[in-house]
Amino acid sequence: MRKWLVLTFIVALLALSACGNEEAAKKDSGNKDDEITVWAMGEEGKLLKQLTDKFEKDNKGLKVDVQAIPWDSAHDKLLTAVASGNGPDILQLGTTWVPEFAEAGALLDLTEYMEEHPEFAAENYFDGAAEIMQYDDQIVGIPWYVDTRVLYYRTDILEEAGYDKAPETWEELQDAAKKLADRGEGHYGIDIDQNDQIMPFIFAWQNGYEANLEESKLNFDTPEFLGAMEYYTSFFKEGSSQVEQGEDIIQAFANGKKPMFFSGPWMVNIINEQAPDIEGKWAPAVMPGNETNASSMGGATLSIFHNSENVENALKFLSYMNETETQLEWLDISNTLPSKLESWEDPILQDDPMYSVFGEQLKKAKAGLQTEQFERIAQELLSALERVNAGGADLEKEIEQFNKTAQDLLEE
Amino acid sequence: MASIHSTKGKTEKTLITVLMIIGGILVSIPFIWMITSAFKPESEALRIPPTILPENPTLDNFKHLFTELNFLVYLRNTLIIVAFSFVGLLFNGMAGYGFAKFAFKGREKIFYLVLATMMIPGQVTMIPVYLLLNGMGLTNTLPGIILPGLVAAFSIFLFRQFMGTIPTDLIEAARLDGAGEFYIFFRLIIPIAKPIFAVQGILAFIGAWNSFLWPLIIANDESLYTLSVGLSLLQGQYGNNFALQMAGAAFMVVPIIIIFAFFQKYIVEGFTMSGIK
Amino acid sequence: MFKQKFRNRHPYMFIAPAVTLLIIFSIIPITIAFFISFTDLDLKGLANWSNISWIGFDNYQNLFADDTFIKSIFNTLFYVVIGVPLVIICSLGIALMLNYGSNKLFSMFRSVYYMPSITNIIAVAVIWGYLYNTEYGLFNYILSLLSVENIPWLQEPTIAKISLIILAVWKGIGINMIIFLAALQGIPRAYYEAAKIDGANRIQTFFNVTLPLLRYATFFVTVTTLIGWMQFFEEPYVMTQGGPLDGTLSIALFIYQEGFQFSEFGYAAAGSFVLFIMIIIITLIQFKLRKSDTEY
Repeated sequence: MRKWLVLTFIVALLALSACGNEEAAKKDSGNKDDEITVWAMGEEGKLLKQLTDKFEKDNKGLKVDVQAIPWDSAHDKLLTAVASGNGPDILQLGTTWVPEFAEAGALLDLTEYMEEHPEFAAENYFDGAAEIMQYDDQIVGIPWYVDTRVLYYRTDILEEAGYDKAPETWEELQDAAKKLADRGEGHYGIDIDQNDQIMPFIFAWQNGYEANLEESKLNFDTPEFLGAMEYYTSFFKEGSSQVEQGEDIIQAFANGKKPMFFSGPWMVNIINEQAPDIEGKWAPAVMPGNETNASSMGGATLSIFHNSENVENALKFLSYMNETETQLEWLDISNTLPSKLESWEDPILQDDPMYSVFGEQLKKAKAGLQTEQFERIAQELLSALERVNAGGADLEKEIEQFNKTAQDLLEE
Repeated sequence: MASIHSTKGKTEKTLITVLMIIGGILVSIPFIWMITSAFKPESEALRIPPTILPENPTLDNFKHLFTELNFLVYLRNTLIIVAFSFVGLLFNGMAGYGFAKFAFKGREKIFYLVLATMMIPGQVTMIPVYLLLNGMGLTNTLPGIILPGLVAAFSIFLFRQFMGTIPTDLIEAARLDGAGEFYIFFRLIIPIAKPIFAVQGILAFIGAWNSFLWPLIIANDESLYTLSVGLSLLQGQYGNNFALQMAGAAFMVVPIIIIFAFFQKYIVEGFTMSGIK
Repeated sequence: MFKQKFRNRHPYMFIAPAVTLLIIFSIIPITIAFFISFTDLDLKGLANWSNISWIGFDNYQNLFADDTFIKSIFNTLFYVVIGVPLVIICSLGIALMLNYGSNKLFSMFRSVYYMPSITNIIAVAVIWGYLYNTEYGLFNYILSLLSVENIPWLQEPTIAKISLIILAVWKGIGINMIIFLAALQGIPRAYYEAAKIDGANRIQTFFNVTLPLLRYATFFVTVTTLIGWMQFFEEPYVMTQGGPLDGTLSIALFIYQEGFQFSEFGYAAAGSFVLFIMIIIITLIQFKLRKSDTEY
């Protein structure tokens, strides 16, 4: 055994020294102005490399070094970058993370560069995406791709229930869900993911709710908000939605037990892959609405890290990523939706029945509350709703308590 | 445990064997599912009730896996970490021996200090450790990845417990023969303690083979990623690709099984083989 | 004289490499975390240290006023009190069973029983999620054959805790089992033969020979399992995220959520020191109890 240990030790040392040299060699050539480092998440990080070649060709002498970071651990990695100040030049951020990192001052304010780069002007993007670009008075990110929640429904089953198109209003949705749930034991009308932080807010916006963050008022005590939460919980109370965790949603959608659910564009591929049998029997639809048919704005932005020493070149790369042509190529590569309104004029998006639904919904998509406490507030709300749905607590009391907690969090 | 001669012993043995097989199959079902799912198409991987054997076996997941990953680079990094984990194992063994078989000033205190390091959730020390490594200029280097996990209190404690059972007379006798302390450790203690080195070897291998956090956090370049980090890149933001992930998991677990089968020989060889006690 | 001095240095030379590394990569960071627990460090503070302020015992006071934290302490103790004895008994039982024979089959099943601890956590979540599914799960299906009503395995706070314990026991057997196996192999055959000559039966042999000789291993397994279960984290993290109604939230998961989801590092550090102190107390009690036994 000792021989074995010694042997591994020697092998390891050799290997390490070899790598050390390689690393040293790499360091010599790296860290210069001509290298732009980018952190991108998961699969996107891997795919992004397909786009960088063209940029490098067009900008001789510049090199883009993309590091892919797993989604699950991206937050940890970003924390250490913030703590040490050792970050990339450009980083991809999920929309909900932008306020948090902007508040910490980790994202470079791009305001002073806006004149030079009119292509980044807010009006080029969907309203919801433009909201995310800004934090306080700063411009902290450029929308890269977007997503939004829509209603997925089974066209055949809804038709049997008397709906030859998707429900368009709250009443219709509630009615359709009730009818579908009445089909028998184990059948439900609509699936509402009780872990989805944004869903209660979508209902609230649809009911005319608005937060007033400038005056630090969350307005969770308004009748609009309470009404929306009543609507949310009514699905569970009436048995239209399942309180317990049941089947995987794709399966329940395919076998018809849950013929409606809310989700984002990524579901299109997942349904096609996992439930090919129901092809042609389902469709996405714009959210049913009350005051409005709002939905949430999601996706990712590209930001420049606060102490990047390579801002000019980073901006050049952002500008390239922002071109309509690049955005459409990215759509093709990664199946994510472009953030720029101009890209949506392309026939690929205009003429496709599914894409056009998302295009329609994106115009009415709103960003989550732009405070770094949003995630926490949303989590508190989900817990309160869970107590109502599963624990039978009183909604009004829960929301009142929640309003207090949330207001405290905001003022902290 | 007991010699088996009588018929009573035979029925007993059959009974235990049957029990062992049934229990074994039951506890390993998730494992079997993990392996077989690697050969399922995505549409089948999450089906309820799950299928144990794939209905439409496919190798696509593995093809996808090997074409998407910078496989050799990740493997090389992982193997380096594994190799060094055995150095760490040696350090742990030495420390365990030191705590078990020497009386010295501060032994108890230092040992409690060692134990204390396993009493706090690792997440809490992550940022301070990162800042220390950053201060030492070890970010984006292999030593930065290897050092934080090189030694472990768990392992030192386990060595100490087992080495405590080695008779002190034996060591004294070797000393009287004029053997040096390190000679005693390498020539006498390690051979006697083979079973526990085997156990720890398995644990060290698994830990290093799966190492994820530090390679991810320390690396500013994918050339330092390990297999686990590479595999987790395949996971989408919305948690799809189950079959592909199972292919990755199945691939990762094969070397562990091999190492386990290899080392477990030594576990059962026992102290008694060396003729002590 | 010189040689004597040199000899005294030996123990330090044996422990030095490991202890040095532990001091740098564990003790110092823990000390830093200790100081952090008296501050309001959050992401803003992390980015710019001038944003950090010293707030004394506020974090600790807030913790004990935080119902969620109190609940997580209760849940953690629940896990430990039920789970730890179960793990120890199960892994010892399986080790004894596997130690019974020494042919190929038995050595193969050593690997089989080790499999749960090396099964990928995502696979664990999927399969156990299916087993525990209220409507479609295998457990409820089997129970329905016995005309037992559906059990909400993960939907009712107390049952969910027990479900997670079962899962964690399943997952935790492997490592303790091999430690017991190694220890069992260390028991010289002569002891059993002596017991046999004395006319002891199986049960007597087990309690008078096997168990006492396993005490080094048992002590180790008990101490480390307790430490591990006090930091119960992975199972609720992947299966329930602490729900339903915080019913499965453990202290470690609470700390993780505060620290990494909400970036309240000061608060999370304070929480981990409360956990740290609880673990130290429990461990010291074990060592003290152990002292009455002859140790080295």
